[in-house]
Amino acid sequence: MSQSLRPYLTAVRYSLQAALNLTNFSSQVVERHNRPEVEVTNTSAELLLQPMHISRNEHEQVLIEPSVNSVRVSIKVKQADEIEQILVHKFTRFLEQRAESFYVLRRVPIEGFSISFLITNKHTETMKTEKLVDFIIEFMEEVDKEISEMKLFLNARARFVAEAYLGEFVY
Amino acid sequence: MEDWRRIDIDAFDPDSGRLTKEDLKPPYPVAVGQAEIDSKISQLRSAATSGDFSTALTLVTSDPPYSADQAIKERYFAAVLSVLTQVRQAEISTLVKQLSSSQTDVLIKYLYKGMSCPEGQKQGGTLLSWFEKVTQHLGVAPVVRYLSDRNTV
Amino acid sequence: MLHLRPENLLVQKTLTEAWNANEAGSPLTLDRVISDFDYTTLHVSNSPDIKSTLFLSIKTKAWQSISQCGNGFLEHLESKYAEFPGITACQPEQGFDYTLSVDLGQIQPAAIIQLSLLKIHAMSFAFQLAFDEFGQLSQQAQDPASFSGSDSSGTVRMLQYRDDENIFIKPSNDRITVIFETFFQDETDKVFGKVFLQEFVDARKRNRSIQSAPQVLFSHEPPLEAAPFTSSRKLDKDRRFITFVLFPRHFQTPELQFSSVCHLTLFRNYFHYHIKCSKAFMHSRMRYRVDTFIKVLNRAKVDEEDEGEQQTRRTITGRKLVY
Repeated sequence: MSQSLRPYLTAVRYSLQAALNLTNFSSQVVERHNRPEVEVTNTSAELLLQPMHISRNEHEQVLIEPSVNSVRVSIKVKQADEIEQILVHKFTRFLEQRAESFYVLRRVPIEGFSISFLITNKHTETMKTEKLVDFIIEFMEEVDKEISEMKLFLNARARFVAEAYLGEFVY
Repeated sequence: MEDWRRIDIDAFDPDSGRLTKEDLKPPYPVAVGQAEIDSKISQLRSAATSGDFSTALTLVTSDPPYSADQAIKERYFAAVLSVLTQVRQAEISTLVKQLSSSQTDVLIKYLYKGMSCPEGQKQGGTLLSWFEKVTQHLGVAPVVRYLSDRNTV
Repeated sequence: MLHLRPENLLVQKTLTEAWNANEAGSPLTLDRVISDFDYTTLHVSNSPDIKSTLFLSIKTKAWQSISQCGNGFLEHLESKYAEFPGITACQPEQGFDYTLSVDLGQIQPAAIIQLSLLKIHAMSFAFQLAFDEFGQLSQQAQDPASFSGSDSSGTVRMLQYRDDENIFIKPSNDRITVIFETFFQDETDKVFGKVFLQEFVDARKRNRSIQSAPQVLFSHEPPLEAAPFTSSRKLDKDRRFITFVLFPRHFQTPELQFSSVCHLTLFRNYFHYHIKCSKAFMHSRMRYRVDTFIKVLNRAKVDEEDEGEQQTRRTITGRKLVY
């Protein structure tokens, strides 16, 4: 693990641990509604806690927005160039289309981020909180790895294909 | 007006009981103005240039300008950020251990704030190592207190 | 499958079937429309009267621009099939550019391969003209009397093989330049295409074993050779130009000429095909990755309460107790 990745992930881990203290909370405004307060606009301010912004650099950030019954975690994945941008976009889209099997995945990332998760009290009631944190951390690690591997693969393939094509002209 | 069903009528009702961020802010006894901040900034600078980061950090973490307006906070924050980034990696751990629990809470606020603005994001690595040292020393407690504290730096 | 074959496999298969059936004495009744790359359609059908006579028609986007390249296009195509008995050109079928009539009783398997190369043969005409002109130009260059300057260069021939994409062929006295004008509709293709094209440019420099391959250049601006043709059109910024510089060693003999033409005409299809392949591979990779993520997430789920107690209830003799 690279030198600055470890403190980054540690910070995310601690922040998530602190934020994932959720309770069941019915809406104060609408009768018989129970909704993730962090997603509700115009909600009363006491239901939202201080947002936590953790950044490794300008390109790699995590925003954790806690509230009384839900936490929104948004991740900005490193996108160094055009290719990585496309790969990240494709990959996150791919995940979002399968959001129902991910339970905590938000279908649309919030603006400025690559992917968002929404963890509600329903999730923390049926899942172990530490394991949920582990999932987010592992996700962050794997996404970076996956993107750079895909990029390497693309380059390797392009090289191989080009050499094979030009090789046909060698007589 | 086309979408009148979606109008948030509670926002217009003074008796709706909805609280804003300002309502939640606890009263803070010390009012901080332009002049105090300027003297504080110059104190910070001189401590940092003489290499006395222990004093500088104590200055930063005690009596933060909670009651000041946004512009003053920003100016003060820039000075704090430069102090935090000047400290050498090896010293961070010792400095953090000297702080009291309430001082660490203030430090955590500055760290999170630093990481949310572009100037601090450039120094992300340094801020993260500060953060790491704080959590190594005190665990998750300062983070939890940060979450629920309505006073912002 | 790394390389695309120049011959059209479907045509080959259809003709082989028809030939085999004819040999066996029961000729097939055929009416097949077969597609090839770049808006090319081929049509294989029986003659209405004699079942052993087949018609092979071709319609291709590039036809008009090929025939504008120079005189003798039809003669060129006829010469390709002259050595095979039983294949004659005839009146083009309605809606097609060119039709060959094939007498199944006379043809040989080798002829079937040549028939399936019909599209390549059509495209090769423009290249053939360039090869011929190169011959003249290099003669001139060697003859100091008629040699007027260093920049003797031949005519540029343009093949409009797709709606918005063209091939330019320009012979000069020591080389032939082939320029592909291409553009990508899809954003992803554009980026992937850039990676691929860059590798084409770099491949020759990096790998010593393919040093003798044609030089490849890649630019966003039309190269000088192609500029007169492209300037009139609106140039959008998604356009790319890929230039192949063929040296005499790539077209010394007719066999080399044929193989170079095959590869060049398939260039676009080749790298688009590989872009699609990489995308498909990435998709399967992502699918796999999603599965591993779901596994990690499922670890977080609180396990169902163990019902082990009931299952392990046994009698003293060790038999399971059934309720």
